[in-house]
Amino acid sequence: MQGEAQASDQTARDALSGPHEPARSLYLHVPFCFHKCHYCDFYSFVDTRDRQEAFVDALALELHALAPHAAAPLETIFVGGGTPSLLRPELWERLTRHIGETFDLSHIRAGRGEWTVECNPETVTPELMRVLRDGGVNRVSVGAQSFDHRHLKALERWHDPENVPRALALAADAGIERRSLDLIYAIPGQTLGDWKRDVETALAIDPPIEHISCYALTYEPNTAMTARLRRGEFQAAPDELEVEMYEWLVERLRVAGLERYEVSNFARRGAECAHNLAYWRQRSWLAAGPSASGHVRTAGERANAFAPPGNRWKNVPQLTAWMDGVKRSEGWSPVVEHETPDDRRAIIERVMTGLRLREGLDEASLLEAAATIGDASELRATIARARASGLLYDDIDGHLTLTDRGYLFADGVAADLMSTIPS
Amino acid sequence: MSDIRNFSIIAHIDHGKSTLADRLLQATHAVSAREAQEQLLDDMDLERERGITIKASAVTVMHQHGGKPFMMNFIDTPGHVDFTYEVSRALTACEGAILVVDATQGVQAQTVANAYLAINNDLELIPVVNKIDLPSAAPDDVAMEIEQILGIPAEDCIYVSAKTGQGIDELLGAICDRLPAPRPSLITQTRALVFDATYDDYRGVIVYIRCFDGTLRVGDKIRMMGVGRTFTVTELGKFTPKQVKVKSISAGETGYLVAAIKTLADVRIGDTITIEHDQAPEPLPGYEEPKQMVFCDFYPATADADSGGKGGADFEELREAVEKLNLNDASFTYQTVHSDALGFGFRCGFLGLLHMDIVQERLEREGGVRIIQTAPTVTYQVLMHDGEVREIHNPADLPDPGSYEEIREPIVRIDIMVPTTSIGDVMKLCNERRGVFRSQQFVSGARQILHYELPLAEIIYDFYDKLKSMTSGYGTMDYEITGFVSDDLVKLDILVNGTPVEALSIIVHRDKAVYRGRLLCSKLREQIPRHQFEIPIQAAVGAKVIARETIKAMRKDVTAKCYGGDVSRKRKLLEKQKEGKKRMKNVGSVNIPQDAFMSVLEQGE
Repeated sequence: MQGEAQASDQTARDALSGPHEPARSLYLHVPFCFHKCHYCDFYSFVDTRDRQEAFVDALALELHALAPHAAAPLETIFVGGGTPSLLRPELWERLTRHIGETFDLSHIRAGRGEWTVECNPETVTPELMRVLRDGGVNRVSVGAQSFDHRHLKALERWHDPENVPRALALAADAGIERRSLDLIYAIPGQTLGDWKRDVETALAIDPPIEHISCYALTYEPNTAMTARLRRGEFQAAPDELEVEMYEWLVERLRVAGLERYEVSNFARRGAECAHNLAYWRQRSWLAAGPSASGHVRTAGERANAFAPPGNRWKNVPQLTAWMDGVKRSEGWSPVVEHETPDDRRAIIERVMTGLRLREGLDEASLLEAAATIGDASELRATIARARASGLLYDDIDGHLTLTDRGYLFADGVAADLMSTIPS
Repeated sequence: MSDIRNFSIIAHIDHGKSTLADRLLQATHAVSAREAQEQLLDDMDLERERGITIKASAVTVMHQHGGKPFMMNFIDTPGHVDFTYEVSRALTACEGAILVVDATQGVQAQTVANAYLAINNDLELIPVVNKIDLPSAAPDDVAMEIEQILGIPAEDCIYVSAKTGQGIDELLGAICDRLPAPRPSLITQTRALVFDATYDDYRGVIVYIRCFDGTLRVGDKIRMMGVGRTFTVTELGKFTPKQVKVKSISAGETGYLVAAIKTLADVRIGDTITIEHDQAPEPLPGYEEPKQMVFCDFYPATADADSGGKGGADFEELREAVEKLNLNDASFTYQTVHSDALGFGFRCGFLGLLHMDIVQERLEREGGVRIIQTAPTVTYQVLMHDGEVREIHNPADLPDPGSYEEIREPIVRIDIMVPTTSIGDVMKLCNERRGVFRSQQFVSGARQILHYELPLAEIIYDFYDKLKSMTSGYGTMDYEITGFVSDDLVKLDILVNGTPVEALSIIVHRDKAVYRGRLLCSKLREQIPRHQFEIPIQAAVGAKVIARETIKAMRKDVTAKCYGGDVSRKRKLLEKQKEGKKRMKNVGSVNIPQDAFMSVLEQGE
C-alpha cells in the first residue's frame, strides 16, 4: 500500500473551486485486488474485510459532488485499478445505475463516447459482462500480461492464460464491441521467441481485438520486484533485448493493422483509447476513488491555447481515509497533491505527454505558447538539434513527431525540450 | 647546570611511548594517578584517538636522585614515519634519548630510524624494553635484537612495564646517571633554539625553546636571527605539565615563550633567538626546512563543478579551515587550484602520507568541512633544455614533451622490517615497484630488515597496505627521501570521446603506463552513463593510445507507462535527470558525473 503521502486539509473541491472548463472525461479507481503483484505500483491491495459495498456507497457520494463539474454529455469514462472486475456484479449494477443517473451518458450510449473497464481474465463471467454492457460500458481492457506460465509466474500473476481469450470472447458475446488487452515484455528470462509467441497469440484471438497495450516491464521504485532486483535475485532483461522486442513488435503490429499511436499503445485506425488520449493531450478529467488523479483546465482568457494551465490533484491513496473524507465532506475526497495553474508547467506537461503520441505536438502553437512566457530561441535550438540527431521528423504537417529511433529516446527528447521551455 | 637533563622518548608507533611518558611524570609526582589516566602530553583529540603524538611538547619536572634534585626537561616527539623531521628537531634540543622497544614486538623499522636519528645528533641512548608484564614478552630476545641491529650492548637495556610501573625507578636513575648534563655556555650572549611552536587564539604564537647560551628574561627585546624580526617577551614559562610562568630561562633549560607574535609565519622552527641589544655573533645550527613531498587536492565535497565557484560557501568554509589549521601546522602548504571536474579547491603539500591523512581528518573534524581528496602525487623535477629545473606538483603542469631533457622523481631509502617468512613476497613487491635492493640485515631468526631504494611515487600508491597484508600486519617501514633521480617517466592522458580530460592526467613510469591506463579506463567505463552514441575511453602517452574501453551506446530512454496520475511524478523525474546532467562536466559532448572523477581521483583501487 502506498501510505507515505500525508493528507492535507484540502479536498478536491479546492481544485475545482475556480472557473474551469467542464470535464469531458471521468476516471474511477477501484483499489481491490486478489493479490498485490510485485511489479505494480498502483494503489491496490487485497481487501480482507470486504469493504466493497462501503466503497461503492462512498463512490456514489463522490460522483454526486463531481457531477456539476462534468461536461454534458460526458465523452469518456475509464474504470481502472486495482482490479475493477473484482467488484461483485450487484455492486456493478448499482454503480453503473448511479453513474447513469448522475452524468449525461447520451454520447457514450450512442456509441460516440467510450466507457472502459479494466478486467482481470479470471473474473470475467457472462453475468458481469452483461451487467457492464447494460450499464453502458462499451470497452474492456483485459490484463493478459503474458500467455506463458513461466513469465506470468515471474510477474506473480496467477491467472490461467487460457482465460484471456475466453474473457474476451465473453465480452464480445455480451456485445462489448471494443476490446483491448495488455501485454508485458522484457520480463526476466523472456526470450525474443517467447515474446513473439505472446504477440502472435494475442493477434490470433477471435473475434479480434482492436487495441493492444504493450509495456516494457518497468522497475518502479517502492515495489517488491525492484527490491528483489536490487538484491540481485534475478537479472533484468538487457536493454538490447528490450529494444529488439519493441522494434519487432512495432513492425509486427503495423502489418496486423494495429498502428502505434503512443509509445506503448497500438490500435486500428479510429480505435485509439479516447480516454487516454485526453490524458496525453492534457484535457480535463475528473477523478473518483482513492489515489485517483484529476486535471481540470481553467476557463476564461486563453492566453495559451496550446496548453491551458489547470489544477491537478490526487485523492488520498488510502481507502479508509478516502471513505471517511468523502463521507465527512459531502463527497469531497481529501487530496494529497494539488498543483495550481501554472503557464510554464502546463506547457512542460503538454510537451512531456504529447510527444509520446503519433500525432505529436503542433510546433507553431508550442513556440507561440513558449514565447508568451519568455524567449523561445533556446527551445527552437533544441528542436533543431533533435531533428539533426534524427530523433524528430523534419516536418510532418507542422508537427513535432518522434521518428522510430526517437521513440526509443522519448524521455531524453522530452527532457531536453522541457528544460528549454523559457521561465 | 649539572643537574639538568634534557631528553626525548623515541619509539616505533604503539610501543608505549606515551604511556611511559605518563608513568615517568607520575613517578616524579608531576601528576596524580587520576590525571595520568589520560596521556598527558597529547593535547589533541585526534592524537589520543589514533594513539599517536603529533606536536612535540616539552614538560619540566623535578626528581630527587642520589640525594640531589634534578630538573628533567622531557621533550615529546611524534612517533610516525612522516615525522622524522619533527623528531629530529625535538632531538636537537636534547642531550639524551630513551629508545623504547616493545618486548612483544621487538625492534621495528621506526625503532631503527629513530635510533639512528638520535645517534646522528650525538645523543646518549638509553634502550628500554617495555611491556615486560605481557605474557608474550621476550625481553632478553629483544635486548639481543637491539644489540644486533644498533650495536648497543644488551646489558644496557632497562626492562620496564609502563603499565605496572616496574623498572620505572631504575629508568629515572639511569636518566640522571647515564644521560649527560647540558653543555656549558660557549659564548656570553644569549642563544635559544626554537624547536616548536603552536598557535593560541588568545596569546598568539607560543614558541618552544631550548636555551643553549645565556639567559632569556621577561621584558627582553629578542631577535629571531633567521627571520630577522624582533619581539618583546611578555611571558616565559614551563609545563609541569601544568603551565607555570617563570621570570627567566637559562642555558640548559627548556620552556616556552610568548611575545605577541601574530602568526606562525613569523616563526621559523630551528631559528635562533638572541637578545636584540647584545646579539650572538652567529646562530645555533638549525634545521633544514621541511620539504613537502606528497601532494593532493582538497575540494569541498558539496560543491559542483559549474556553480560552486570560488565564491561558493563551501569553498569559503574550506578556505577558512585550511588557513586556521595551517596556523597550527605550518608543515603543510596550500594553494588555490581549479579543477574542471571538481571546481575550486586547494592543492596541498605534506611531509608524507600520514601527515596528509592527519591534515584531512583535522580539517573535517576541527573545521567542520567535508572534503573530497584526490589521490596523492609526488613532486617531480623537470630539467628543461636550457638547464632550468622546474618543480611540478601537478601532472597538468608538465611542460610539452620535447621542451625538456628529463623528468626526475623523488627517491627514498626505505627500511622494511619483515618476518622472515614474508621476505620473498616483500622483495617481489619492491621489485615490482622499481625498487633497488641495497642490503639485508639479520634481526633475529624470525625477522630481517630489508634496505631498498624506491621511488616515492611507488610508496604512496598503496605500498603500505600491500606490505601490511602480505606480512599479516607485522611488516613495518620507515623511509627517508634521499634525492631526485631521472627515470623513464611519461604523462598518461585520459581521453573521453577523443578529448583529453586534464584533471585525470597522471605521471607514471613508462613500464606501468599500460597497467595504470587500463585501470583508469575501466573505472571510468563503470562510472560514465551510457549516451546515445558509443563513447571510446582511451589512455594515451603522447599520441599513442595504450588502453581503450568502450561505453556502448544507450539503447533506449523511454518510460513505458505514462498516464493521468503519473504526470507530476514523471515531470519531476525528468526535470531531476536534467538537473543531474547539468551538474555533470561536459567533455567532448560526453557528460561525466562528478562520481566518475572521484572514482579515479580518489585513493585506493
